[in-house]
Amino acid sequence: MKTVRYRLKPVSMFLAVLMILISMPIHSALAAMVSTDDVITSGRADKARALISEVLAREDIQGALIAQGIDPLEAQARVDSLSDREAIRFAAMVEQMPAGGASVAWVLGLAVFVFLVLLVTDILGYTDIFPFVKKKA
Amino acid sequence: MIDSCAVNLSRYRSAPATGLPAQHVLDHIPFFPQADYQCGPAALAMTLAWSGLSVTPQALTSSVYTPSKKGSIQPAMIGAARRHGRIAYILSGPEDLIREIAAGHPVIVLQNLGLAWYPVWHYAVAVGYDLKSEAMLLHSGRTARKRVPLKLFHRTWARSNFWGMMTLPPKEIPATATDAGFVESVFGLEQAGQLEAALEGYRTALNRWPANLAAGIGLANVYYALGDFAAAERSLRATIGHVPESGAAYNNLAQVLWDQGKGPEALKAAQTAVRLGGKRLSVYQKTLNEIQKGLGLLPSDRDRPQPGE
Repeated sequence: MKTVRYRLKPVSMFLAVLMILISMPIHSALAAMVSTDDVITSGRADKARALISEVLAREDIQGALIAQGIDPLEAQARVDSLSDREAIRFAAMVEQMPAGGASVAWVLGLAVFVFLVLLVTDILGYTDIFPFVKKKA
Repeated sequence: MIDSCAVNLSRYRSAPATGLPAQHVLDHIPFFPQADYQCGPAALAMTLAWSGLSVTPQALTSSVYTPSKKGSIQPAMIGAARRHGRIAYILSGPEDLIREIAAGHPVIVLQNLGLAWYPVWHYAVAVGYDLKSEAMLLHSGRTARKRVPLKLFHRTWARSNFWGMMTLPPKEIPATATDAGFVESVFGLEQAGQLEAALEGYRTALNRWPANLAAGIGLANVYYALGDFAAAERSLRATIGHVPESGAAYNNLAQVLWDQGKGPEALKAAQTAVRLGGKRLSVYQKTLNEIQKGLGLLPSDRDRPQPGE
């Protein structure tokens, strides 16, 4: 095997190649085709949305939302409007939460979930709860 | 939260209850003793060699080992596996390790042999387990089939969040694989340009999960990239048979038919995609417009009046 001398350090070389591989479309002829990546992400997003909806539908979550003055149906509608990437990230956060029961950890998890829903809807401009989220005038 | 003082081994011990043998050793996993800091190349060489390739740790060093870190980072391990045409499949959790070994698959595991605040990262290959005497067998460092007490193994493995990777030939599905997980790992091959391997992977996926849309679309995309339009068409028609509501399948079919000169059929497929709609409607509409222009059903951009005329 020929050995190739690199001018750049191996790490920078590796990173440079990786960046190019990630950002380049594989075959420009596929401009009109739906890519495999797109279908995989949609699939993951659909599963993510199903998970979030499942959690939203829980009685304790609904109760917590109502206590904050949020109509659970509105919350569901706003979650439905998340982009694929946002839905996947949100579901990943939800999955990290403890599973249930009356423990302190679960109560904290509940509060975190409600906080996240409200934060997302604030950012999307549908609620106005957190002063630190910048609102468009 | 990982409590390092009380190790819960029930995940391992429950194995016999699920029909797995209480002990299993893979005798035929090649062993390469590691050179200094070169546990990454050594571990990868072992599993790649088991999967049917003739490789040595030395040959892998340049693609896997990072001299400034004196080690190998996980993405580099994954990338190198893919560039050798192998599925890089990451374990979902520690309970998967026993199942995979029982199924005959060696697993590269990442351990922290040091402390949380002074880590000593190390790749080893898990090649066996013995639940009766509570031990894992690892090809590790310069020792083949090294017996490590399960408690110690669990503690050191937990610090990497139970990172484990298999390098499998694309026709082999992991024992613990989900459809989504397997198809995503096949896509890794497609993305790495390993098209023949990706073909085999998608075909394997469709064999097990015939209605998996991503695998169907992926298979056709790879055939298309290889220039085999007829095979791409066949795959897409099969996909439509399983998932008749897929706009993506019809859209891609339209493109493939168009590229084979089958204009009228392409038009019908593109129209179906648009009718099915969904969030990619603008893409389908674009495909339809291009086909309509090509068939002379719409004025082409040349004929359209220019601003100012």
